[in-house]
Amino acid sequence: MQILRQSEHTTKPQDDELLYVGKSLQKPDVAQKVTGQAIYTDDIRISGLIEGRLLHCPHPFAKVKAIDTSKAKSLPGVTAILTYQDAPQNKFSRSTMAEALPSFAYNGERQDQKILTDICRYRGDCVAAVAAENIYVAEQAIDLIDVEYDVLEPVFDPFQALEPNAPQIHSDAKNNIAFEMDHPFNVGDTKQAFADADVIVDFSGVNSRQKHLHMETDSAIAQFDENGRVTIISPSQGPHLGKKHLSERVFSDLEDGDIRWLSPTIGGGFGARLALGLEPIAVLLARKTGKPVRVTSTREEDFNGYASRTDQHQTIRLAALNDGTITGIEQYIISDAGAYLSHSATTSLVNMQKSLGLFRCDNVYGHVKVVYTNTPVTAGFRGYGNAEGAFVLQQAIDMLAEKLAIDPIEIRSRNIRKEGEQSFFLPCVLEHTRLQECMDEGSKAFGWNKKFKGWNRDKSQGRFQRGVGMSILNHASGAGGFLLEHSSAVMKIQADGSANLVISPCEMGQGILGAVTQIAAELSGIPYEKIRVVTGDTDITLFDIGSHASRSIFVVGNAVANCAKKINDIIRECAITHFEKRQVKVKKEDLIVQGGEVFPKTNPETTISVREIAHDEIYNFTEIGSQISASGAYLSTSHHPNHQAGFAEVEVDTETGHVTVLKYLAAHDIGRTINPLLVESQMQGGAVQGLGFALKEDYVLDQTTGEVLNDTLLTYTAPTVMDVPELKNLMIEDPYNHGPFGAKGVGEAGVVNPAAAIANAIYDAIGVRIHSLPASPEKVLAMLQSGGREMPNGASHVSGQRL
Amino acid sequence: MKTIATFHVNGQEYDTVIEPHMVLADILRDNLNLTGTKRACSGGNCGACTVLVNGRPTCSCITLGMLARDKDIETVEGLASTKNGLSTLQTAFVQNNAAQCGFCTSGMLMTAEALLRENPQPTRQEVKIAISGNICRCTGYIKIVDAIMEAVSTLQTINNHNEKA
Repeated sequence: MQILRQSEHTTKPQDDELLYVGKSLQKPDVAQKVTGQAIYTDDIRISGLIEGRLLHCPHPFAKVKAIDTSKAKSLPGVTAILTYQDAPQNKFSRSTMAEALPSFAYNGERQDQKILTDICRYRGDCVAAVAAENIYVAEQAIDLIDVEYDVLEPVFDPFQALEPNAPQIHSDAKNNIAFEMDHPFNVGDTKQAFADADVIVDFSGVNSRQKHLHMETDSAIAQFDENGRVTIISPSQGPHLGKKHLSERVFSDLEDGDIRWLSPTIGGGFGARLALGLEPIAVLLARKTGKPVRVTSTREEDFNGYASRTDQHQTIRLAALNDGTITGIEQYIISDAGAYLSHSATTSLVNMQKSLGLFRCDNVYGHVKVVYTNTPVTAGFRGYGNAEGAFVLQQAIDMLAEKLAIDPIEIRSRNIRKEGEQSFFLPCVLEHTRLQECMDEGSKAFGWNKKFKGWNRDKSQGRFQRGVGMSILNHASGAGGFLLEHSSAVMKIQADGSANLVISPCEMGQGILGAVTQIAAELSGIPYEKIRVVTGDTDITLFDIGSHASRSIFVVGNAVANCAKKINDIIRECAITHFEKRQVKVKKEDLIVQGGEVFPKTNPETTISVREIAHDEIYNFTEIGSQISASGAYLSTSHHPNHQAGFAEVEVDTETGHVTVLKYLAAHDIGRTINPLLVESQMQGGAVQGLGFALKEDYVLDQTTGEVLNDTLLTYTAPTVMDVPELKNLMIEDPYNHGPFGAKGVGEAGVVNPAAAIANAIYDAIGVRIHSLPASPEKVLAMLQSGGREMPNGASHVSGQRL
Repeated sequence: MKTIATFHVNGQEYDTVIEPHMVLADILRDNLNLTGTKRACSGGNCGACTVLVNGRPTCSCITLGMLARDKDIETVEGLASTKNGLSTLQTAFVQNNAAQCGFCTSGMLMTAEALLRENPQPTRQEVKIAISGNICRCTGYIKIVDAIMEAVSTLQTINNHNEKA
């Protein structure tokens, strides 16, 4: 890994002064993951636990006429059977974002789903649930429930769903429109800009419904206590919002505080766990039976019923002057929500924020429409609209560059937003960007100038053609101003000088527990290995909207920094009397806490251990004892964008259409790297997910039955180790004064550029544009054989890929 | 039809009541409480449930318990020992951050363990081929391959040292 530092910036990090920040330390939870000791939801053993399973509708659109549970009820070992008649009629959304969004940026999220339903809008809808002594009995009981359905005519394509006589999926959603909104930050007059433009580009594309494919399938445990309080255990990315949402929308007799939510080790999230999964039904079964209930799901159920990336059909239009200055941008999105809204509207809005806000432009117009279909529910996925948008926008900007015969990097350089200009999130100013440096350093390390041979190069004849492409992005480090973006941390010192750090984000594998502990260690003076981080229990952790939006290092990191500074302050304050007892006169501001010791700046040989101070604070028999503790909070009011440039080199087999990525490089504007090993891990993982999104991962739906045809890990071809090309990552460091030690977010960005950069590289190699993802061999071949004129229709996927 | 079956796991003998339809992964997890072995697809497609049966990497989610009776079974819980702590392979996984969410890690470790016993000096390509049936969604695989290669070189150093001694 290379770490680049920009010497011209005066705030250059001084690593020598730091003990923990900037070091590749082991994250605290890694050892238990290699020994099998980490406890995931399905590993929890509770005495008396019974197992829950669900009955899914076998039709994409149907109404239950009759349901007979008598046979299932008489099966020995069955504890309870619930049908749609027993479930609350309150509607909710799997997305809990309604609780965290202000109205000015968002015109409302429909609450459109019931826990169990008699109107089934996709094959994943549940009509009944069983709880039984074990999983085998539960599954048998499910098979014994007889349901008679009125099968209704389904619609699988969002464009067909919009037609006037299309089947109406929700009675209160006219023309199946689930959500419609203008971009909240539309400005200027795009019509005029396009009329006055020297050159115009128009490009359309649609992404596939990439599956999150968290290795741990969804499960949830619920248990009521004697006071009517419920404990939920599930792999949730956002339990605090989850309990607010459940108590507010579904279980009207429960208050926020009546729910305790535990998130144990989480087997991958990538955004899926931000939406509610099996928790509501687990609560319902636990309440009915009075027993602890675990509801689990199979991989097939995950494919058919859970979540995926939202497929967003987009058209992007660019107006520009001859010198490459962009004067107008329009983006039209039609997104396919699936049967319920969930995160599909918010991801589409965020796509517009990022796509329309990347370039400096005075005339911007965006419009999004989200449509219901009788297909599985879609959701937020790492990148949250940005990967979907980049795939289209970054090809459009390349087309503009080609028309004007400008190098792809040059045209981007001329148009990206500079510091002090407005941010992509328009009410805010762009406080910090090193996107230009990402492009410059990235292109150098990639060898762009040698590899890109210009727009009119002679294409060699031959079966294997090579090409290069690039893409850039801006992403949020927490959606301040748009979301309820605050977090709080608590730290307390034990009698042995060790500390507990209580933080809210959930650890899904991203390494956040390690990174924030490094911040806490650096600023409190307690050694890294002496800080035990506590999370995943809403009775202990403070309110926070969860782990998403690349927010944790920034928002939680700042909260931890504030907390650790207070701890440091208290330790120094307490140390004064200890020094006095030893006849050493000190002033608080002259003391330093480091490595668990306190000493005066001027006299580092005279130390008093934090252990002694902390011990005496607790075991104090003469005065009121008080354990050293502090809480710190942080509210973010801006998006604090991080940026990235991605470069891809591909080889296209013109006989088969197969695309091989030879090399991929990402340069990330990270502000400051808290832990290079963890950051590189995030970037590599993101890039490979992005490669899967670009070339392999598809979600194939039978156009007549609505059945997911590739619902196993065998048939849904996620990248394996054999698909990984030469990968390089650069961290462009220049501390950002609002971030903890200058850090900005990094978790999501890696997945955004690959598809766009690869699509541009394919164009460079063979001269055809990719309009739908994945760029699978049959599509590439069809485009090649028609000279790019005919776009393959119905090659894959729910909507028939009309583009 | 319930049967009492004997399983030899990580050098220990377990007697437990099983039924013919039960798969090894469920028996390890639910009967023997060895939950380090994970179920991620229950179809033998992802490798997360890999254990060693008579030394061979085996998907325990599609292996009937009846067929694994009286065989030598090794799971992730058997890799570390109280005497020596983490194994060389586990240490390399920790040092390279080769586990992110950790759900595929047990299977990766067991697959790699089998490889290194059979071929103590694999090339990077051989390592990749060995773990190509194990899906990881977090890491992008690079750190996993790095970790296995690091373990190979550490084990080589230890071997050389022992030979000299």
